Amino acid sequence: MAECIVGISDLKVSNNQEDVLITYALGSCIGVAVYDPQVRVGGLLHFMLPDSNLDVDKAKANPAMFADTGIPLLFKSCYRFGAEKHRMVVKVAGGASILDDTNFFRIGQKNLTALRRIFWKNNILIDGEDTGMNHNRTLSLRIADGVVKVRGSNNFTRKL
Amino acid sequence: MIVDELLHSIQKIPAFPGTVQRVAEILSHADYSVSELVSVIEYDQSITANLLKMSNAAYFGSRHRVSTVQDAVMFLGQENIIRAVVASGVVSFYRSGRGYGVKGSDLWKHSVGVALMSQILSKKLYSRKDGELFTAALLHDVGKVVLGEYIDRSFEKIERLVKKEGYAFLTAEKEVFGIDHAELGGKIAERWNFPPKHVEVIACHHRPDQSARERIAPWVVYLADQVCLMMGVGGGSDGLAYWGLKEVVQMFKLRQRDIEECMIQLAQELALAEDIVNVFHG
Repeated sequence: MAECIVGISDLKVSNNQEDVLITYALGSCIGVAVYDPQVRVGGLLHFMLPDSNLDVDKAKANPAMFADTGIPLLFKSCYRFGAEKHRMVVKVAGGASILDDTNFFRIGQKNLTALRRIFWKNNILIDGEDTGMNHNRTLSLRIADGVVKVRGSNNFTRKL
Repeated sequence: MIVDELLHSIQKIPAFPGTVQRVAEILSHADYSVSELVSVIEYDQSITANLLKMSNAAYFGSRHRVSTVQDAVMFLGQENIIRAVVASGVVSFYRSGRGYGVKGSDLWKHSVGVALMSQILSKKLYSRKDGELFTAALLHDVGKVVLGEYIDRSFEKIERLVKKEGYAFLTAEKEVFGIDHAELGGKIAERWNFPPKHVEVIACHHRPDQSARERIAPWVVYLADQVCLMMGVGGGSDGLAYWGLKEVVQMFKLRQRDIEECMIQLAQELALAEDIVNVFHG
């Protein structure tokens, strides 16, 4: 089994049946795992911020940094391996926040809102999620069967 | 009481490497002698080994291959040489710890992230990199290195207070240990005879509003830490269970986009600083 690590502002797509895509330390960032069970192709994105208008040049250089550029690229990259949108299973984790009453540090919530808006516009349903709260998460996707697992900071792992 | 045991145990912490203080002192004179600086650094084998490993990090931007202390001093420049020496001196200390519910290397990565972020923020907030903050920021979680020895047996209690009772992590530590990691870090810094400014930055990095003497520095490190926790840079079991202080927004006249821009910059600098992070593994 090959473990492919997806870093912050990074995405990986695979059709290698040996691969497990994994991303660590999702705080306010969000991990999106997509999988087409028929062709057994999957992808994992770890985006950091909601909106690429913040820095268009950075978004061009690294689309995986933002929700609005990373999510389309994740799907397109899977299509290149023969995946089709209507078969895609979509699972998300992350978007945690610091305990605060100021609304200022709520990048986690903003990331979640951006994600839902993009999915809603594109008619994509979320099949499983573990989001919000105030702990870190690790998210993994097994290419062989599409099993997605999420581990919270208490080291408890569950299937999504 | 655990707190007595903890305070007693910090008496046994090795002294802060004298080389780091000597280097800072030498560099504080504009006309310092390069050969004196080189000989002070070379005298410390452990710092020399770490320094050579991290001097070629893209972060320091040297265009030349650094293979001797002499090269490092020549090519890195005054600002970077002190950072590299501080990091070289401090990493051994992190190696000796057991982490804090995470791997020791994650705690080190987090510390490097906060140190880099303190420079990004000070540049953004008052247009200059505050080199002094680098040291204090790198050591902000030093209390966790010591608490790491005790966390295993008490972690469930802390976890329960945070998850079930809605405690912030710091309050839960205080309740279980009798002291929190920031306060304990301050005590360690005092034992190392750090300047009061550094002591205060470490002791108040979660509660800069309680800092008596320093008005700015603890807030910068506080903010750097909060952003790194959010981004999951070396994130630990404490996760994001800390209170945000809204004063920080007014104080620095921050906009949401300022924070987001700093996050982008940190993500890039962390990629360049990989050699600094990896020096943990020797």
